[in-house]
Amino acid sequence: MQGAKTKTVKTISRQAGIVFSVLACFFILLICIRFGSVHIPLRDMARITWAHISGSEVPSDIQKNIVSIFWTIRLPRVLAAFFVGGALSVSGLAMQALLQNPLASSYTMGVSSGAGLGAAVVLITGFTLPVAKGLSLPLAGFIFGSVTVIGVLALSKAIDSFLSNTTVILIGMIVSLFVTGILNLLSTLNPDHTKQIWMWMTGSLSSITWLQSEILAVVSFLGALFLLVFYSKKLDIMTFGDEQAKAMGVDMNTAKIVIVLITSVLTGVSVAFAGVIGFVDLAAPHVVRRIFGPSHKTAIAMSFVYGGAFMALADLISRTVLSPREIPVGAVTALIGAPFFAYVFFASRRK
Amino acid sequence: MLIELKNVSAGYGKSTILKDINLRVGEGEKVFIGGANGSGKTTLLRVISGLIPYTGQVLISGRDIRSLKRKESARLISLMPQQSGMYFAYKVKDAVLLGRYAHTGLFGGNSQEDTDAARAAMKACGIFELKDRYINELSGGQIQRVMLAMCFCQGAPVILLDEPGSNLDIRYNAELEEYINTWAKDSTYTSYGKIRNTPIAVFHDLTQAMRFSGRTILLKDGKVYFDGLLEEAVKSGKASEAYDFDIAGYKREEQKLWKFVQPDK
Repeated sequence: MQGAKTKTVKTISRQAGIVFSVLACFFILLICIRFGSVHIPLRDMARITWAHISGSEVPSDIQKNIVSIFWTIRLPRVLAAFFVGGALSVSGLAMQALLQNPLASSYTMGVSSGAGLGAAVVLITGFTLPVAKGLSLPLAGFIFGSVTVIGVLALSKAIDSFLSNTTVILIGMIVSLFVTGILNLLSTLNPDHTKQIWMWMTGSLSSITWLQSEILAVVSFLGALFLLVFYSKKLDIMTFGDEQAKAMGVDMNTAKIVIVLITSVLTGVSVAFAGVIGFVDLAAPHVVRRIFGPSHKTAIAMSFVYGGAFMALADLISRTVLSPREIPVGAVTALIGAPFFAYVFFASRRK
Repeated sequence: MLIELKNVSAGYGKSTILKDINLRVGEGEKVFIGGANGSGKTTLLRVISGLIPYTGQVLISGRDIRSLKRKESARLISLMPQQSGMYFAYKVKDAVLLGRYAHTGLFGGNSQEDTDAARAAMKACGIFELKDRYINELSGGQIQRVMLAMCFCQGAPVILLDEPGSNLDIRYNAELEEYINTWAKDSTYTSYGKIRNTPIAVFHDLTQAMRFSGRTILLKDGKVYFDGLLEEAVKSGKASEAYDFDIAGYKREEQKLWKFVQPDK
């Protein structure tokens, strides 16, 4: 009887935590949309949104520039920040379970350096796709990023057919450094493009369009949902290690490929539209595991929410602190994320 | 035959560990696998549970284990490895329940049967009191008992134990033996019918192995060096050769040195 009671209390407190987190995240997103170079009153936000949803005229007492800032700049940007943060966090969480290392992320596998190289190649050669010119850069980033990950895995497999985690992490680092070397070389040889490449490597959400925001939303949501529905139990078991996971009935060969693919897509699409942004994928999953426990059913959903909210806040800081100038959002996440993460990590170690 | 190995060779990278092994294990047999460090004991367990690539054939109830899906083979054979990563803060009860993975469906939901099996396994392995503790904060022996519970909770008729008592104190080692012996008298219902429980275990302590086994298989340099009763292996000198170390056995009344054991009940 006593046991049943405490169980219910715990379940309720966990559910309350989830509800509270979702509400807090929603509130943070509202704040991020409200503030910026131009403040938008909540009432106007609601009326403009309603007008767009219902297809009616935007009320004439709202200034035209507020309507356009809110609808064509602020809203897609904040939503994009949320989905980038969510995608990066979920991909980090999955990588950490797969590699049994709370400090792993798809960046460990060379996604960022690969994507950076792809972007640099496009910027330098001036190559554009015949259709959808605007997507050339992100697409190159995505393809190069994925190819780097596949290269890391292929090389690891050639060296160690078990794909043991130490091998994968080491090869990932080696390949990352090598690719970054090429990137630096290209950047030095083409000084005209150095600034553009640098901008991209430090991350920015300043030129996000509705289309990009929608692509981010669909891809990150579907990717995370797929992991949540089909892979949360498998990820739980993978934290025990390859041998134990296989013995318990997880088809590790398939699972590894699927997870690497999904995390590459999640990271790739974020890097493609927002550039290279670090630390969200380490910090958000870590905090979520501390609050809700490591079980991936909750952790995947909550990592998305926490990572998304963190990213939206980082973007708010990046565009307001030195306004009208913007700080690269990758620098903001690192400047806030690194000390915070160090604190959380040391605090948990000291215990 | 429950398990049959035909011309099995296996290794890691370029080094071959197991060389042309032929082995048959019947239903309900209790098998002790011994041999010196590096003789291939762990590799043999990995091959039987289908964890690593090998040449030759491994059959379970006449079916090639390579033709079984991982979940299917996990319902027939469970393995307790020497080590397992316990870095994330799962509660003991949640970790043990994950042992039922092979019985869950596509979405991984647990049934009442799963919860009951996990509870029974925790009680049997003496970790029911630890059920709300976090696995990354346990001692080596406690972790080993959690792994044991996960392994038994998997509900397979064949259990492969790789040094299951290496971190356990004298009491839990005795309880471990008692639990395996009780379990070995039982049978398990599988999708291939009722199968008598069959434990296959690696031990380092030959006295413990003696208490456990009906049948002893000694490996040497990746080959089966001896197959029979442990006392015969010691008497004939095969055990000494397998371990490259002089081994003698004494019956309790002839003992000259103190031997620290639980007194007979």
